[in-house]
Amino acid sequence: MQAFERELLTLLPRLRRFARALARDAADADDLIQAALERALRAQAQWTPGTRLDSWMMRIVRNCWIDEIRSRVRRARTFVPEEEGALVGADTHRDIERKVEMNDVDRAMNHLSSDQREVIALVLVEGLAYREAAELLDIPIGTLTSRLTRGRQALAQMLEAA
Amino acid sequence: MRIDDDLLMALADGELDALTRARVERAVAEDPALEARLKVQRRLRARLADHYAPVAQEDVPERLRAMLETNVVSFAPARRARPMWQNFAALAATLVIGLALGRTLTTPGPIGVERGTMVAQGALADALETQLASAQAPDAATRIGVTFNRADGRPCRTFDSAAVSGLACRGGDGWQLMMTAAGSGRARGEFRQAGSAGPLVLQAAQEAMAGAPLDAAAERRARDSGWQRSETSR
Repeated sequence: MQAFERELLTLLPRLRRFARALARDAADADDLIQAALERALRAQAQWTPGTRLDSWMMRIVRNCWIDEIRSRVRRARTFVPEEEGALVGADTHRDIERKVEMNDVDRAMNHLSSDQREVIALVLVEGLAYREAAELLDIPIGTLTSRLTRGRQALAQMLEAA
Repeated sequence: MRIDDDLLMALADGELDALTRARVERAVAEDPALEARLKVQRRLRARLADHYAPVAQEDVPERLRAMLETNVVSFAPARRARPMWQNFAALAATLVIGLALGRTLTTPGPIGVERGTMVAQGALADALETQLASAQAPDAATRIGVTFNRADGRPCRTFDSAAVSGLACRGGDGWQLMMTAAGSGRARGEFRQAGSAGPLVLQAAQEAMAGAPLDAAAERRARDSGWQRSETSR
């Protein structure tokens, strides 16, 4: 194993935690990590040694997740009308399993928009400073704090009520 | 001073400067309603951290580990019976003979031999001496990879160019080549991932490294101080 892979290996626990906060459940989160690792190994040349691999990698995880959401939306638009009946039956079982496993925090996170969820994941789960999170997402710091505020208010409302 | 939720959140996140923090904390101490709102924010932060923390303690699934563990270039040794340095010395010796023979009659190549040691010369020596990995032109003839200190405090750097890649450590008044391998110009697309300094070089660097690689600021300091031996070898 080369230094690059070795360092990625030590980052995996943290990356999985970040992915869990972004994605819906553990299975989705690990699929996301797999896609992100594939992308990272292909793009290895674009990483500058000596710079932070964790930020570089978190950005890739986040971009893979955005791609995944987009393709889900596309799939839903394309297939749902004609296959609606079949899908409803097939999905119910998995949905019920999911709900049993999920606790209040998972459920509350799932109610957030993906914009809000990613800032919550970076700042509250991963502990990044506002500036670091804004840089990673390529957004102004004001945008970051307003998403953070709205996401937090929504979470607090759901969790304090529960 | 009016205290809104943004300020309370920034306080809970540790994002306020000392002066603002003192003000907000004073206001909170005087107002139970504010204190209750701050508690909501602190509780939320703790609850999220607590909920996701166990994920980082879980065993990483085998399929993910395997992606990294099997992404090994085909000639990297799986197990090392003897120290890597001995292998490198043999490899390096064959290469330097070829380079010396091919180059000395025409223009000076990137590698020379001084008092029985392989040293960088010409453009390679210049790049090792002056170029910063954090600020190099994309089309630079020599690319500096990672810079680090060896256990004996000598600064070392990996490099890659079309003809030759390797690991050099500062010693005496120049850069001694600890190992060399074919450069990316030749081996690209065969066994190596484009742009990487090569698995043998990275492995040699990993073996020799004491502590973490230098970051951009430390790299600049080391260069500006003339690549002095670092005193705190870990």
